[in-house]
Amino acid sequence: MLWDVAMQPLPQSLARSTPSATPVPAAGDGPPVMEMEGVWRRYDDLVAVRDVSLTISEGTILGLIGPSGSGKTTIIRMLSGTLGPSEGWLKVLGQVPLRFTREARERIAYMPQLFSLYPDLTASENVNFVSALFGVPWWGRSKLIKRSLSVVDLWEARNRPARDLSGGMQRRLELACALVHNPRVLFVDEPTAGIDPMLRQSIWDELRRLRDEGATLMVTTQYVGEAVYADRVALLDRGELIALETPDALRRSAFGGELLQIETLRAVDPEVLRDVAGVRGVRQPGPRTLIAVTDDAGTASPRIMDALRAQGIEVSEIAEYQASYDDMFTALVQRRRDERKEDGEVDDGDDGGAAPGDPGSTDAETRAS
Amino acid sequence: MTGILKSLVRMSSFIGKELRELRRRPGVIATLVLGPLLVMVLFGVGYVGQRQPFSAEIVLPAGSNMPTDPGFYQEMTQDRMTVQAVGTDRDAALRRLGGEAVDLVVVAPADAEARLRAGEQSVIEVYWNQVDPLNDGLARLAMQIMVSELNQEIIRRAAAEGIQVAGGELGEPVDIDPNVVAEPTRGEEHNVAPSEPATIAFFGPAVFALVLQHLAVTLTALSLVRERLSGQMDRYRVSPLNSSELLVGKYVAYGLFCLVVSALVAGAMVTFLGVPNLGGWVALFGIVLLLTFASLGLGLLISLVADSERQAVQLSMLVLLASVFFSGFVLPVEDFIPAVRPVAYALPVTHGIATLQESMLRGEVRSLWAIGALAGLGVGLYVIALLRLRRIVHRVD
Repeated sequence: MLWDVAMQPLPQSLARSTPSATPVPAAGDGPPVMEMEGVWRRYDDLVAVRDVSLTISEGTILGLIGPSGSGKTTIIRMLSGTLGPSEGWLKVLGQVPLRFTREARERIAYMPQLFSLYPDLTASENVNFVSALFGVPWWGRSKLIKRSLSVVDLWEARNRPARDLSGGMQRRLELACALVHNPRVLFVDEPTAGIDPMLRQSIWDELRRLRDEGATLMVTTQYVGEAVYADRVALLDRGELIALETPDALRRSAFGGELLQIETLRAVDPEVLRDVAGVRGVRQPGPRTLIAVTDDAGTASPRIMDALRAQGIEVSEIAEYQASYDDMFTALVQRRRDERKEDGEVDDGDDGGAAPGDPGSTDAETRAS
Repeated sequence: MTGILKSLVRMSSFIGKELRELRRRPGVIATLVLGPLLVMVLFGVGYVGQRQPFSAEIVLPAGSNMPTDPGFYQEMTQDRMTVQAVGTDRDAALRRLGGEAVDLVVVAPADAEARLRAGEQSVIEVYWNQVDPLNDGLARLAMQIMVSELNQEIIRRAAAEGIQVAGGELGEPVDIDPNVVAEPTRGEEHNVAPSEPATIAFFGPAVFALVLQHLAVTLTALSLVRERLSGQMDRYRVSPLNSSELLVGKYVAYGLFCLVVSALVAGAMVTFLGVPNLGGWVALFGIVLLLTFASLGLGLLISLVADSERQAVQLSMLVLLASVFFSGFVLPVEDFIPAVRPVAYALPVTHGIATLQESMLRGEVRSLWAIGALAGLGVGLYVIALLRLRRIVHRVD
């Protein structure tokens, strides 16, 4: 366990799998575009998604974050209408995904996790094909193709066969195909997987631009640090929705308060801060370094300094500590797993199990991404 | 934009995509276009349509005064045999037969003349060493022809002798040709078929039908299975595309390609190989269209039931194998027992061969039921493929 404070019970502000009787946490403030209520998805004995409820409002990017096999792709597939739930209900654009009308489908885009375009076609031809699938007429297509390829910085490579593109370029081509018909709802599965950090940033910029134009996006990623780009972050572990918050609120909630990093001139015993008012917990990453979890960093700072000086310890620096999203994610997941153990739930492995519809599955008819 | 126009746009997306993909694979084009042409030309140039005569050795009784010139016996074989040698060592000749140095050994009777005069039948022993049932039958036929020719020659000589004796005893010439006594009747040939029977002309349309079916099945068998395995099907599921649009798009794309290849092969067949086309190009186009439609349905169905590319290839080869045996390409369909014939009738190529041969060689399609069967197979396979595709697309559990 990384943080001693992470042993604390989850704050009320953090959502677990929300029971259907409680209010469904909403991501965003606009009208709801995607809704899930008490959704379960099972593959025989394997539970891929368990009792997930959430609502995503118009003009929102929801980042779906979780380890491999946590149910991210299964949720995307259910919401995009390529997979049915075992229990519960879902709605997208006010329609049940499995019974989307054609008009609804024309407003939706799906970017699968694995490259599934045609390697013998050029980048431009692939985008052209997908635009035609969505009914974009011949006369308006070239402009849209140019725009979507330019957005992902592939216009120069438009005449290269997809098979000759690098892995990162292929991911961008998939994204261009998803964008070409100007969708209002996008399901984007791992858009930045295998892409260098610079390009990841530009892809997120594009996703946020779409959001600014009113599109609603659900984006999965295994890069926890990318949570910062989303408006709301849904944290998944073993098919369970652990948290649904804004990135900042999630960071704060993960550790039970604001963090302060204290540097001292000589080695210090963390026990000296245990009884300081407003300090909820202390960790010692080094002999002269303390990280304190506080109710409020501003009011706790002078009290901490006073307490240390009373012990004859000089503080060289005290500042708010920005924990990484990886730490935050680890803390939340570990806490939930510990809770499960306490509740006597069976621990079925570190990363859950990949559902038949998830990457790595070989079922020709259900493989999605 | 109206729904119909959008539907056309979606279907046309497949026409462009599939044709572009084919264009990007020059090896595939070469195999698919030049392959059938090459098969056709090689068949036309290489197939002689006549089996080589059996090599034969004649064994005469020791001390016989019968001719030892192979040419003498060659005349009796009607070119069914090539008499290589005439000898007297029976055992040596049979050893050569056992070693397959010769195909036939004919052993002449030792006392034929004495037995004839005694009113007894002589026996000519003919030995062959064949495991091929067709060759076995042909060897038997060659033997019968040779014996028949020999009997006729004996009758002819006896008749000539008898006529001479009768003329001497009656004191006036008897005007009967010994040949008429030996062969009192003969047949006169009149083939009223509108085209001259020729091996190339007869088998050309059959090869054409087989090539066309195989081309269509091979092209389409891998098409959907690849998309199902790559995850592309999920993109189709999310898009407004429906199963009919997907299927019709594939049919039209591959259908166009097959028709272009068919035009090239048919043109080469008629122009360079001299296969008649008495029914005209419109009839030929109609039959090719139906055969292509049914064959594409078969290929797409394979693509929808196979769970891997390997299985799709295996099923395509199985269809080809069944087509060679059951379609009438090698053996007439009527030669099979009724219980097995449905296998033949379930193959588009069976009806393709029958109707193409009738149209091209006779100038009219008499087996109208075959046209109906071809159309019925096409529609049936389309419906089955569509139902199967819908099941896959809507499979969400």
